[in-house]
Amino acid sequence: MSKTKGVFLFAKNNGQLDYVKQAVFLAKRIKKYLNVPVSLATDSPIYLQETYGTDDFDKVINLDYTNNSNLRYFYDGAMSKKQGGFKNANRADVYDLSPYDETLLLDTDYIISNDLLSSVFESNADFMIYKKSSDISQARNEDEFEKIDDVSIDFYWATVVFFRKSETNKTFFDLVKHIEQEWHHYRRTYQVKSHLFRNDFAFSIAIHIMNGFQPGSFAEELPGTMFYTADRDILWEMNDDKMMFLVGKENYLGEYTAVQTKGLTVHVMNKFSLTRIIDKELANE
Amino acid sequence: MDERLEKALDFSNYMITLNNQKRLLREKFEEQLLYFFSGSQFTITKELINFCKAMHDANQDDVVLIDDHGNPALVQDIEAFYGNILAQYFEAANSYHTNYITLKKNRSVEKLVEYEQN
Repeated sequence: MSKTKGVFLFAKNNGQLDYVKQAVFLAKRIKKYLNVPVSLATDSPIYLQETYGTDDFDKVINLDYTNNSNLRYFYDGAMSKKQGGFKNANRADVYDLSPYDETLLLDTDYIISNDLLSSVFESNADFMIYKKSSDISQARNEDEFEKIDDVSIDFYWATVVFFRKSETNKTFFDLVKHIEQEWHHYRRTYQVKSHLFRNDFAFSIAIHIMNGFQPGSFAEELPGTMFYTADRDILWEMNDDKMMFLVGKENYLGEYTAVQTKGLTVHVMNKFSLTRIIDKELANE
Repeated sequence: MDERLEKALDFSNYMITLNNQKRLLREKFEEQLLYFFSGSQFTITKELINFCKAMHDANQDDVVLIDDHGNPALVQDIEAFYGNILAQYFEAANSYHTNYITLKKNRSVEKLVEYEQN
């Protein structure tokens, strides 16, 4: 019997940002570029149903609504920021929630613009994640995405994760849950300065442990590079696979340089500017 | 502002954008050089192309190649493999070249990022 495959998204709205809207937008792009079904886990299923419908999704999984969140600032370019709840808990539940044998887990702000990731479903690797990343501006210091701290272990992005259901991968995701529950212990052990729980850190620590507390081959690199823009940048325009960004100039607060990408998938961290673009795109449908 | 300085700063902005766009074209080219075969990933390099050609010329049908993750992969039809990577290399390189020439002709920031004010 052939294995089932699909993309899995989480969307938990926080009052400032509509992750459900992002998920609907991304699901359309996934169908266009990757041509695989998409499942969504959300704590706002009624909002999804009433506002957007569920046609873009293969399955919608209801999550219990909770107010538990980490408070953090969300920037909208270099000059504006808002404080909001960051509901990033329980990402490791994807192993149990995903209806697929082969799952590609994506953040809803990872804007798919080519078919590169469709290759993962044919890959020999059972667990893949990005370590290699590139800031599209190239003007900023990228050290924070090399190691989880100056003298600590390699940094991996939990933004995109491919896995097959297996005992080993179940062990991995159970370990991530444990790290999340005991976050302050692991934060101190791995010398992470930030108190804020981040899935990137938890996944990086879990990979380090799975590899026998040393670099190893448990996690294979996803194809290509993970391109990203910071939340100090602004997504200005989108037209199919083309995106134009205003990227903040280093040391010149409020000044930007224009950058255009074509056919490159980009992790857009400024979720406010992404929402503005999505509003335009959805209005044009 | 002194006109000389203003012109220099305009040019400086143009160069920042040009260099960013050149780099992104290069990154795109590198993505297009990824070749997936039987669950393995290969970056098409001149070395890989030449090695496959050498194996083909030596009448080696079954060849073990080392993929991007350092894992061995058995290629049982090196002729077809060689033909595929060569075709993909030419397609990626031609696209890179065309886009690069277009980029170099653009003499303003707006044209570099194909921005049209509404």
